[in-house]
Amino acid sequence: MTKKSKDLLVGYLFLAPALLLFLVFIAEPVIASLILSFTKYNVITPSQFIGFDNFKAFFDDDRLGLVYWNTLKFVLILTPLHVILGLLLALAVQRKIAKGLKYFYRTIFYFPVLATSAAVATAWSFIFNKEFGILNYFLGLFGIEGIPWMQSPNWVYLAVAIYSFWKFIGNAFLYYFIGLQNIPESLYEAAEIDGAGKLQRFMNITLPMLSPMLFFVLVTTLIGTTQIFDEPYLITGGGPGDASRSVNMYIYEIAFQKHQMGYASTVSISLFLAILAITALQFGLSKKWVSYDQE
Amino acid sequence: MNGEVKMAGVMTNREIRVHTRRRAARGFVLDGFLLLLSFLMLAPFLWMISTSLRLPQESFSLPPAIFPTAFNASSYGQVFDQVPFASFIFNSLKIALIIVVGHIFISSMAAFAFSRISFAGRNAIFLIFLAGLMIPGQVTIIPQFILISKLGLVDTHWALILPALINPLGIFMIRQMMMTISTTYDEAAYMDGASRMWVFLKVILPMVFPAVAVTSVMTFIGNWNDFFRPLIFLNTFEKMTLPLGMTVLNGTFGSGNLSAILAGVTLSLTVPLLFYIFGQKYLVEGITAGGLKL
Repeated sequence: MTKKSKDLLVGYLFLAPALLLFLVFIAEPVIASLILSFTKYNVITPSQFIGFDNFKAFFDDDRLGLVYWNTLKFVLILTPLHVILGLLLALAVQRKIAKGLKYFYRTIFYFPVLATSAAVATAWSFIFNKEFGILNYFLGLFGIEGIPWMQSPNWVYLAVAIYSFWKFIGNAFLYYFIGLQNIPESLYEAAEIDGAGKLQRFMNITLPMLSPMLFFVLVTTLIGTTQIFDEPYLITGGGPGDASRSVNMYIYEIAFQKHQMGYASTVSISLFLAILAITALQFGLSKKWVSYDQE
Repeated sequence: MNGEVKMAGVMTNREIRVHTRRRAARGFVLDGFLLLLSFLMLAPFLWMISTSLRLPQESFSLPPAIFPTAFNASSYGQVFDQVPFASFIFNSLKIALIIVVGHIFISSMAAFAFSRISFAGRNAIFLIFLAGLMIPGQVTIIPQFILISKLGLVDTHWALILPALINPLGIFMIRQMMMTISTTYDEAAYMDGASRMWVFLKVILPMVFPAVAVTSVMTFIGNWNDFFRPLIFLNTFEKMTLPLGMTVLNGTFGSGNLSAILAGVTLSLTVPLLFYIFGQKYLVEGITAGGLKL
């Protein structure tokens, strides 16, 4: 055997397990999703080709409009929350303070990110309880009485935002924190010699140098919140009514509670296209403000 | 240094004193704010732990105790007696560990092929894998569920393990690190008559340990915490993972005994805590290596 054909064989042998799993669990499902969206299928009885009926149903579905609107609200609330507050927090910790204190803050802010979501979200659903929750108890000490966290269609978003801050702010924080540490000190020293003020140094050194990290946090937060599921499912249950039901919760309901696999695939493809459009837009816009020439 | 001296030169002594005092005051406010925020971040944990140690009949009473009042550990016993909590923990550990080992082995083999063997179709397949990274979970989950149910694997741990073995991100991260290793190492070993497998296992794999560690920590935590897939695939209590088991715990104790639920929550935190203590270094390395390259 020549070296070339031997390399071909060995290469594919090394690749075989990954390739096989990729074809079965990623590639095939993507194609199957597309096909399913043209069918009616409940897993038990054979699937039935129904043309564009799912797409017609898609545009007639009032609940779908609502869950998309809810998801948009989550995105508009949670994305700035993490992108901006995470940065402010990282800047505050990145000052010239004792190393031990930095480590302390980093540990405290990041640990909730790793905590088991389902467990801590369950605990938070008790914290938000209107009658016996500790949050309302402490607010009561300041004269703020009986906030209906779970009973009001508006408060429920603040509840999810508070939980999301507590649970995930450490993620954005840590990315920024590491990004800030990688900015060479010499740049600031040079700027100081040139007489640049604090704001100038921030605008002309920190922001451009941090822009790849900012972009990364922005895109991952956008993608993550568009697919939000755990928070509303575990804390609000999508309620009151459908007030905090996200698209992903709705897909779960159609697919795994109502067993309408075809229609659920149609909705999931629509969400995929929405994410793709947002991501593409971000990458397009990023050319204007993200600078990768770090030297 | 030089700059500070020059700047100090143009300020009078009084100005310098006012300047430093103002800076110190601002720093003091920020430090106070950060300490308060740290306490607020910790408070829910303190409340969870202390309430888990309260007597069940007092678990809902107000004012709530932030610090433990009475050490009553009976709720921890109840969690194991009335709910198969030990099974939840065991199942979660078993599934997450099998996925980590399988995923690392499969990914590093693929990374080895992508980075060190040249063959037709290699780059095309790599690009397709990368494209797979962009496919969100909700698109693949429905066909995966259909496939898993046709294979008769619903309500088995295989339903969680098999799809999780493939994640292009792991392949990508390990490949990136393998690309930085000089091929002279491989060539020297092949001269001595070593096989591909031997070079992979004994030469290259040990050299990419940091990438393997990062991928392992992330894979473990991700699967340990996963709620959605167990929710879809598992029905039997005894087979459930810890995150899904929390809903069982909530259903069993939700109306009368908050201490028991929070005992379960506290127990669920121990494994991420251990991983945090030992894996934090690798998580930071992973973010440093992977984050900037988007």
